[in-house]
Amino acid sequence: MSTPPSDWEVVIGLEVHVQLHTRAKVFASSPWGFGQEPNEQVDPVVLGLPGTLPVVNREAVEKSILFGLVVGASVPEHCSWDRKNYFYPDNPKNYQLTQKDFPVVVGGQVEIELPGASRNVMGEHKFIRIHHAHLEEDVGKLSHAGSGSLVDYNRAGVPLLEIVTEPDLRSSAEAEAFLRSLVAMITQAGVADCDMEKGQLRCDCNVSIRRRGTEKLGTRTETKNLNSISSVRDTVIYETARQIRELEAGRSITQETRGWNAELVRGYVLRDKEDAHDYRYFPDPDIPTLKISRETVTRLSALVPENLYDRQRRYIANLGLPYTAASVLVNDRALAEWFELAVAAHPANPSGIANLVANDLLRDLAASATAPVSLESCLIKPAQLAGLVKLTDEGVISKQQAKEVFTEMFTSGRDAAAIVDAKGLRQNSDTGELEKIVQEVIADPAVAKSIAEYRAGNEKAINALKGPIMKRTQGKANPVLIDQLLRKFLG
Amino acid sequence: MGEVLHTLSAGELGRRLAAGTLTSRALCEALITRFKALNETVGAFTHLDQADVLAQADASDARRKAGQGRGPLEGIPVAIKDNIAVKGQPLTCSSKMLAPLVSPYDSHVAERLRAAGAILYGRLNMDEFAMGSSTENSAIRKTFNPWDLARIPGGSSGGSAAALAAGLVPLSLGSDTGGSIRQPASHCGVVGLKPTYGLISRFGLVAFASSLDQIGPMARSIEDCELLLNALASADARDMTCFGPADRALAPSGDAKKLRIGIPKGFLGKGVAPEVAAAVNAAVAFYRAQGCAISEVELPSSDLAVPTYYVVATAEASSNLGRYDGVRYGHRSASAGTPVEMMTASRSEGFGPEVKRRILLGTFVLSAGYADAYYVRALRARAKIRGEYLAALAGVDMLLTPTVPTPAFKVGEKASDPLQLYLEDIFTIPANLAGLPALSVPCGKSGHLPVGFHLVGAPLSEAKLLAAGRLFEAAHGFAHQQAAL
Amino acid sequence: MAEGFDIDHLAKLARLSLTAEEKALYSSQLNQILGHFEALAQADLPALSDDARVVDEAALRSDEPGPVLGSAAVTRLAPASRDGQISVPRVVDDES
Repeated sequence: MSTPPSDWEVVIGLEVHVQLHTRAKVFASSPWGFGQEPNEQVDPVVLGLPGTLPVVNREAVEKSILFGLVVGASVPEHCSWDRKNYFYPDNPKNYQLTQKDFPVVVGGQVEIELPGASRNVMGEHKFIRIHHAHLEEDVGKLSHAGSGSLVDYNRAGVPLLEIVTEPDLRSSAEAEAFLRSLVAMITQAGVADCDMEKGQLRCDCNVSIRRRGTEKLGTRTETKNLNSISSVRDTVIYETARQIRELEAGRSITQETRGWNAELVRGYVLRDKEDAHDYRYFPDPDIPTLKISRETVTRLSALVPENLYDRQRRYIANLGLPYTAASVLVNDRALAEWFELAVAAHPANPSGIANLVANDLLRDLAASATAPVSLESCLIKPAQLAGLVKLTDEGVISKQQAKEVFTEMFTSGRDAAAIVDAKGLRQNSDTGELEKIVQEVIADPAVAKSIAEYRAGNEKAINALKGPIMKRTQGKANPVLIDQLLRKFLG
Repeated sequence: MGEVLHTLSAGELGRRLAAGTLTSRALCEALITRFKALNETVGAFTHLDQADVLAQADASDARRKAGQGRGPLEGIPVAIKDNIAVKGQPLTCSSKMLAPLVSPYDSHVAERLRAAGAILYGRLNMDEFAMGSSTENSAIRKTFNPWDLARIPGGSSGGSAAALAAGLVPLSLGSDTGGSIRQPASHCGVVGLKPTYGLISRFGLVAFASSLDQIGPMARSIEDCELLLNALASADARDMTCFGPADRALAPSGDAKKLRIGIPKGFLGKGVAPEVAAAVNAAVAFYRAQGCAISEVELPSSDLAVPTYYVVATAEASSNLGRYDGVRYGHRSASAGTPVEMMTASRSEGFGPEVKRRILLGTFVLSAGYADAYYVRALRARAKIRGEYLAALAGVDMLLTPTVPTPAFKVGEKASDPLQLYLEDIFTIPANLAGLPALSVPCGKSGHLPVGFHLVGAPLSEAKLLAAGRLFEAAHGFAHQQAAL
Repeated sequence: MAEGFDIDHLAKLARLSLTAEEKALYSSQLNQILGHFEALAQADLPALSDDARVVDEAALRSDEPGPVLGSAAVTRLAPASRDGQISVPRVVDDES
């Protein structure tokens, strides 16, 4: 009798390789970056020429420490580098400099948010523990050409921070949420750009299955070199299903290294890398142990931004934002800080400001005719957007009119008030004048039927009176006021 | 004039060049003539780019004429062991593996020599990848001891020592991992210094054992050795194991006659040939007669030195030599196949037996299941040995021993017994393990074969060692000695 | 035979191919050498202490890009190259 699927629990751990944001490589001074001709970013140290030696890049170390501070890890007093020895054409020295025993970051955790029941509902939050993160060098790139292969060493020596989680993830959704959160935290702190299209973030995914309620971990497989969040998610789904199928058929799981074919959406066993398992690690004799000063840690602590979920909680609790707007804003640190400047200029209506920023501003930034406009070069400044919302709150213009004004502000950079005046958009909120017009319209026999329907209980019938009122006021009547007056006089 | 130029010290050559009674061109031409006459016999050089040497000499003479001479080494040829990178020159390490390689960059020491105006003069033969004590492991050619052409010059810097002893050059660079400067210096009757680990940058020295390797000066006198040392020793940000500017102050030499010398207990019993013991004992007697305090010191862990060295050195070497696989440079096998097959064939064709032996041994002591029993224990033993040496050197200024237990053996005599060769490194190895400066000074002969004694000092005590060497040299006739060829 | 010394395994790890004669010769020589290492196995040794040399952040390099060799120089050094990349035999680790 086969075991029902719900009796199985999947356990997932991730090793995320992130290319850190530096100008030079981690142990060599060669520059690096995307889109260069092959082997143009190679110096004698990168190539592993005889007699060359590694020298550690300070910025790479500081970015690693900053990551540690972002995830609340401990930054040890000392860290050191080890050699991982294995032969492969993309590995110039046939050893990789990495950190096995004394990495630069130990512990830490990443808060994740799972999808809610619907788009507007915040999902469950969970903490995923980080085991450690270590600073190592990337390898070159192999490509295949006919009967041979080609090697480009531009990527060899690029600084990689390898972030290793504890096996705390329990579903593909959690894996996906973890990566999104991790990328947000890393990019918001300026540690790395995580542009996956440029290969700046790659993931190895460890999956095992055990019976629910047991403690012992099952045999795990490792799927390497996943370069998108969707492929991680798909790998988890695939591997979970595959392992359950194997176990239910009475077979056992082989500990193996696997690859992922994104086009065919399936995994496969990687050809055994010939004794790849005995790496003969030993401390690198060319790099002495590094003492990390507490002054450096203190200085870098000042660069840690507010955690995005702390910020989200603050927006919801203190500023009264709905979840959807808050979650859009916190996903982009620059946008959130822009939003906060606008709120500072007009603290009375954060939700109103959030609505414009999260919807209209983002939409227009992305949709610009020539190329997406960046927030920095956007012509609207935070205080100006605040000014627009203030005008709306004061009833000077309607929300409908505000949209029109916004568009004009986006293309011209002019203040809302100036645009309102120039276009003569000021709403008519003169109660006395409007009362007179409302009563005139109510008295018009043309709307008698609608009035009767409204009084009979049809809420929507009142809208039929609004058109004529608007016409008589050249569209400038304050709609909120009109609605109030109509209800007052119709009873 | 040309006949005696090759006998002059670098110091004297420098004085004549400065006085204008000699040009660098004339000097180099004289040495090239001597090279043509003798290199086939002695085999010290594997390569000499004569046109390049003369161009450097002309440039030096022009600088001097324009009043822009750069110092005491201006215009003086310095020969370079073939594991130290010089841009545009071969960097073969006397191995088939790197036979095609021309270095595209300069080592730190090459830059320093250029900045001093020295002439970078040729490539010197060595044991392949610096692994050996006789230079018989060179894949390119044989080098012979100028004092007895049927015998080895020592190794691995055999070419560096033989070139000096044969008067082919006044100064040379060697490298020393377990004695590879000092032992050939002793066998060839010249001076060789291994500096404190970290004093001279290793950037551009082809790594054998990274935590043990050092480049060092070799010459026919203490004064010449010191001249070269001063040019080479400087901070280099490209080598993290090299002392920065703040940490490299050398201890003052003090009065050489007041030096306290320690003789390690039992060292003269370690298979030392009678004539070697006699020459070294005579040196001790000399120092005592000068007023130096001579005492006995204990180094209880001496027996651990050779095994510790061979575990640590081969482990590091097995990793350092991993990069030689025929992919990016050097020898690539013509036989086709998979990348693994190509790498394996290239390495198997490119490396000689001693290199393969050491790679296999190093791989073993690092391998899963054995690293704790061998490599980790060796690191612990190394710390213990270093501790004992530093403790001994707290009470004396330097330790004195023979450099090698026996004088130069005949070519081929020890080819089939690697262990026996390893055991002869007994006196030199500890200085590498402990990172201490060590100097070999000629002190006599065993028959017609040179004998040297060996001084080891505390870190950064080079000046004291050289002062002790100078005191001895001044009273004896071994400075500038050359074999009659 | 020194315990665990498997010359075939080691040669594979080190990417060396040895003839039968070489295997026999090196095995015997290396076992003799390892036998000499008994002193190391027996000695009373202190625990592994902290590194003798520790550096502080002053020894790290600033993040300034430095000179490169250029792809022409890289391919000139290489035994085989094509279109600026280094050629090697076909690497196979895709699914067969």
